[in-house]
Amino acid sequence: MTSPDSLVFMELAIQQAKLAMDALEVPVGCVIVEDGKVIASGRNRTTETRNATRHAEMEAIDVLLEQWQKNGLSMTEVAKKFSNCSLYVTCEPCIMCASALSNLGIKEVIYGCSNDKFGGCGSILSLHLSDAVSPNKGFKCVGGIMATEAVLLFRTFYEQGNPKAPKPHRPLAHQAST
Amino acid sequence: MSNNQLIVHIPDEQPHDLHHQPTVTVFASSINPKHANQIVRRLNQIAPLGDLRHVKRIWKKVLEGGQIELSVVLCLAYEGDNQLDDVPPHLQEMISSYQLSPFITNVCKFEATSKEEWQEQCKFWPTSYHPRTYSIDGITGFSEEDSDSVLKFMQSAVELATSDGLVNVVNAAVIVDPSAKQIISTARDQVFIWNTCKDDSCYRKPDLLSCHPISNRLDPQKPMHLRSSCNHLKQSYTNVACLYPGQWTEQQSHSQSSYYCHPLRHAAIVAIEASAARDRRLFPNNEGSKEKYLELDHESHSTSSPSKRQKTGCATVMDNDKLNAHSQTSNQIEDNDKLNAHSQTSNQIEENDNLNPNLLSARPYLCTGYDIYLAWEPCTMCAMALVHQRIRRIFYAFPNPKTGALGSVHRLQGEKSLNHHYAVFRVLIPEEALHKCHTSVSEAEETGI
Repeated sequence: MTSPDSLVFMELAIQQAKLAMDALEVPVGCVIVEDGKVIASGRNRTTETRNATRHAEMEAIDVLLEQWQKNGLSMTEVAKKFSNCSLYVTCEPCIMCASALSNLGIKEVIYGCSNDKFGGCGSILSLHLSDAVSPNKGFKCVGGIMATEAVLLFRTFYEQGNPKAPKPHRPLAHQAST
Repeated sequence: MSNNQLIVHIPDEQPHDLHHQPTVTVFASSINPKHANQIVRRLNQIAPLGDLRHVKRIWKKVLEGGQIELSVVLCLAYEGDNQLDDVPPHLQEMISSYQLSPFITNVCKFEATSKEEWQEQCKFWPTSYHPRTYSIDGITGFSEEDSDSVLKFMQSAVELATSDGLVNVVNAAVIVDPSAKQIISTARDQVFIWNTCKDDSCYRKPDLLSCHPISNRLDPQKPMHLRSSCNHLKQSYTNVACLYPGQWTEQQSHSQSSYYCHPLRHAAIVAIEASAARDRRLFPNNEGSKEKYLELDHESHSTSSPSKRQKTGCATVMDNDKLNAHSQTSNQIEDNDKLNAHSQTSNQIEENDNLNPNLLSARPYLCTGYDIYLAWEPCTMCAMALVHQRIRRIFYAFPNPKTGALGSVHRLQGEKSLNHHYAVFRVLIPEEALHKCHTSVSEAEETGI
């Protein structure tokens, strides 16, 4: 699954995560790919918006929903579009995002490092799997693509801490979270 | 029926029938007290209890006449395997060297979640019980005053859910600061009417108070009819986003409209967005407060994992105190007088909340200390969003059997790995309430009240 293409797309997701870090956000980034082309990107904006639900995935999804409907697509067509999209994200989607992606019916998710606290694609819950109870279709999911790079970003973020934070500073080597 | 009996705590774990708690069978043996230390040390090496850590390894019974009898748990006995043949070799050696005579007994499979459960468990074999280290108002019951306020806020959420008529019932959310009894934000599902305008001016100020004053239309004292007699109420509520998160694909697009569909704009998500927008509006200068909430963020992270919590017991206590002080949600009963004073001032603040400097010190981190009222139990996406935004308590009226994440399908309040835990309550109001408050709203409109 680690095709050269998926490395290229994950590299773009990591670029997004770096943008987040430059803005003092927890460094998570993503791109959404359709037919081998990047059609949307997103990065974490929770600090800026003071809205802890503004994860990278949500940002990218909003771009597409607006754009597609401005182009006159019906919701049936929007659903069809999502079912042809792959999401590349630097960290395993959290329970909220995994549930959202499942509701949208995305084709597949390729992620970097796993998310031991909030992960919704196997770590805490397995929302990518379809089951008899929930109406969701689920999606294909592959983890561990460029995980080292993704973890390094978290480590850098938590080690640098916030220069404006009151003393004592954040402890070093804090665990990653999104 | 008293109001506070209408509010039911939904516990962190699926409650077990007190007298029929799940058990597993183990091999145990009585031992000579002289050998207790050696045996237990050795057992912990060769047969650790793993998932049964809550089970005490040793049971000390004081017999009549003051004689002491000690028994130990040796290891799990697998089902249908009551022979000692499959016991690991190390354990076999131990059994023969101390001349033990193993027997089969039952121990409780899960750690007790309440004192009552624990007391029942100990009748099989002693277990340890760790009551949760944090407390949230209401888990141990509501005062009459608090439950009245809970019922009124729930009523306003249900009214909001039906405010567009019974054919378009959606889920609705009301975020409340309980210390000031003040509404922070309100929202209906916006799956089919997403306004993409990003400007803050698009976020309307909460209009619930002006349009639908919190009233006593829904009389909680009336007898409950949870099974509605009206057949037309047996509709499927297909527009309630959390109940049917996949329903959006059926929607025809609004042509020539500034509104789009957004499959993820469930009421809770929109209410969170509105409370964040309110925070940005009231506290536009982020500098000072940023430091404060980054610090709090770090603290709440540090209490996230149980292992860390054990190591830093002191820090956790401090943390709770700070958080309480910060969001002014500390013990409501104790501070009744102060709170009354506070709620008076905040009613005035509501009128013009930009100007009061007192609010600056009361600025919470995200929704720390706030409650949310939802007509329906939230789906997994919304329930996790509420974890992220640090909501303190969730109240819902109607369960969501297919996608509910607070007890129905998942139980996020009991996911230990999460870095925040809210308390969850169901408010028992009859489904008819949806119908009732609709008719009273439309009657009021017709008569021009």
